[in-house]
This record gives sequence, C-alpha cells and structure tokens, in this order.
Amino acid sequence: MAAPRPTERPRPTLLLLAAAAFTLLTLHIRGAAPLDAFQQGLRDILEPLRSVTDTATDPIQAAWNGIFGYEDLRAENERLAVELARLRGRSVTDAADSELLERLLGEVGLDYTQTDTVVVRILGTPPGNFGTHRIEVDAGTDEGLSEGLAVVTGAGLVGRLEQVDRSRSTVILATHPEFLVGVRLVASQDEGLARGTGRGTLKIEAGIRMDADIAWNEAVVTSGGRSLLPPDIPVGRVIDTDEHAEYERNVVIDLNADLESLSFLNVVLAHPEGDPLDVESGPTGSPRP
Amino acid sequence: MTPRLRVLLVLVTAVALEGTLLDELRVDGVSVELLLLVAVLTGFHGGPERGAITAFFAGLLHDSIVGAPLGLHALVYPPLAVAVSSLELRMLRSTPVTGGLAVLAAVAAGQGLASVVGMLFGILGQTPQAFVRQAVLAGILTAVVAAPVNRVVRWAATGGLPGTIEIRRGVG
Repeated sequence: MAAPRPTERPRPTLLLLAAAAFTLLTLHIRGAAPLDAFQQGLRDILEPLRSVTDTATDPIQAAWNGIFGYEDLRAENERLAVELARLRGRSVTDAADSELLERLLGEVGLDYTQTDTVVVRILGTPPGNFGTHRIEVDAGTDEGLSEGLAVVTGAGLVGRLEQVDRSRSTVILATHPEFLVGVRLVASQDEGLARGTGRGTLKIEAGIRMDADIAWNEAVVTSGGRSLLPPDIPVGRVIDTDEHAEYERNVVIDLNADLESLSFLNVVLAHPEGDPLDVESGPTGSPRP
Repeated sequence: MTPRLRVLLVLVTAVALEGTLLDELRVDGVSVELLLLVAVLTGFHGGPERGAITAFFAGLLHDSIVGAPLGLHALVYPPLAVAVSSLELRMLRSTPVTGGLAVLAAVAAGQGLASVVGMLFGILGQTPQAFVRQAVLAGILTAVVAAPVNRVVRWAATGGLPGTIEIRRGVG
C-alpha cells in the first residue's frame, strides 16, 4: 500500500488524461483512420496468440462436452437449426421473389442467392465484455472482406461486417440497437429504415406511410438503393403492423435468421451500386482458400 | 528493472492474457476484466498519479482488443484508479475479504461506467438489466483471480519495497 508522495498531483493528471481520452474518443468516432490502424495493428499482433490459444483450449472444451454427452446433442441441434433456417429462408425468398416478379417486373436488382459469398466460421464473441450483439468470424482482409459487407445465412440477413482485421472480423448483428438497414415490405412495397431492438426483432422507425396496407406476416427484404446492403436479402416477417399509430408507424419485424446455434455464415461480397461509403467490394467471385 | 518497465511488462502480459486465454474462459458469456483489475490495483499500490497513468494506458489497450472506440475505457479507468487509491488511504484495516469485495465493487463500477459511456455514444446495445448483470458477474469473476494479480501488480508498482510510512501531525 502506498500513500501519495508529496509531489503527486492526481487532480491535474486526471484532468489531463480525461481530456486526452475524450479527444481520442471524439476523433475515433469521427473516423480518424490512424486510430483504427493502431487498433487493428494491435489485434493483428495478438492474432497468432489467439489462434494458438483457441487450438490449445479446444480439447479441454471438447473433453468437457464429451464427459457430459453434450457434443452429439449440439451437433444434432446445429443440423436442425441449419435445416430450419434453410426452409424459412426459402419460404421468405419465394414470397419475396413472386411478389417482386409480379409487381416489379423488369426491375434490375441483386438477388442475394446469386451473389458471390465467402463462408466464414463463427469464433465466438469479441474479447472482453463490451461486445454485445457482436460476434467474431474467422476471415478478414486476407479473404477479401471489407467493412460494411452484408452477413447472411440461408434464412436471410444476420448483420454486417463492422471491423475487419487481417484474419478475423467482427459482425454487428441485426438485433443491435444501433444497426440500421433500409427495408422494403414485399406486398405493400413501402420502404423504411429499420433498427435493431436488442431483443431479436427489428423496428421500422421511419418511411412507412400512415395509410399503408400492411399485412401481418408480410415478408420484408432489404431495399438496396442508397443503403449499405444489397437489395432483396430476406430480413423477416411483420409481427406488429402498428395500424393504430397516430403520428408515425413503427412496424415490428421478426428476424428470419435464427441467431442462436449457428456455426457458419455467408458474407456477401458485393456492395450495392453507388455505395455512399465507397468501400471496396473485394475480389468477387474468388472462392475462399 | 525500473518501475515503468515493470508496469509496462504487466500491461503487455495482461493484454495478451485478456485477448487469448481469458477470452476462452467465460462464464455465462462474461470474462475476467484483467486490464481493469491491473488499473485498479495499480491505484491501490502505486498511488493516485501512477494509478491514473497506468489505468489510462490499460484503458487504451482494452479499447484496442475489444474493438471499442479508442479512448472509451481510457476515459473510465483513471478516475476509478484514483478513487481506489483515495479509498485505500481512508481504510484503517484491510482483510482479504474486504479487499475482494473492494475489487468486486471497483470492477463492477468500471464495467458499468464503460457500458454507460458506450450507450451514451450509441456504441453499445444493451438493456440496463443486461449490463448490470454483466457488470456484477464480471466483478465476481475478476475478484476470483485478484489474489495472484495483486502480488504481481504490487511488485510492479512498488518494486517489492514496503509501503511508504506517512507521519501525520496531530491537530490540537
């Protein structure tokens, strides 16, 4: 234990450090590239260590699961989850496609099932306790990924790439309250801006007409256009039409993709045309080594 | 080895452990906040100024490995280190139990404050109940590993020397 020395002046030091931290924070939030590069560099230095630790702890985790006979159950559960996701995705995609064909014949859009994707494996949550509604995947710039790319499963939208290091990336899930995506209601063709609610659903907060005829269980897809994500990716189905709203309609969407019990995801290697962030799309069409 | 080098060594080791081994050992999705623990303990053993500076750099390192905006944890950790240092001066007697409880409270407070700042800046998406649960659990887990870390940080912050004896003149 140490008493403060007579020369110590904690208050000015604290103020100075707080000012420095606040300045860094402000600069980073405004997008100062050197700060991103510093953080990415540090994570890249740690990456080999993390890979070794992952590998080293795998047998321990597997042994634990083996003792309690959990491994078979988990594998079966994963298989069923993937199958369910595939079926749900097909259902929404079919609905979306038929409606679009009828209503928007001739419109040129990017069908997400036809786009180049990179298959990535989920590693878990990012280090520390700060990464809610975020997951880490095992691919990065080395595989041609870049920030802002859409992340999907067979069932539809899961999120988008938020941070991309050399061989790992962080995905912000669509349920994150700061996740925003332009969406289109397939039947009514209304477009709006949806935001994650933190509870497995999204809420369309703006853009829906008060008199729009929205049906319960109506399919919702990404709208594309000026949005970061490509159009026509299934998002989910309407579970609350908010038809009694007096000022602004907040339509609630149940996310189609099941975010639990997943092992693999697809990153769509294409940004929509006129990407406002002008992010490079990477080598589309190149399979992951 | 100078105190600065020792503290640097402890910080580098802590960041490597937190980004690797401790990330794998999670309870209910929550892991040990080792860098926050180092910050708090440096305040306890090294005094407010050294604690604040170490906490600032611990915060920057933490921001980098967890992917938070640079400066977020660096904003939260130094006041905690100074507060712990200040409390340490006012404590008449410290036992392992009170020490453990103090670590739990400090880490939970640090984790909670970081979450609040993250929410204020629109970075963190959590319900209040979720981050309170996470903060308390992180505090408990960190308190469990505090004893060995405490010895290392004491060595780094004081160089193994006994604590300074402060003589206060009585009033009256």
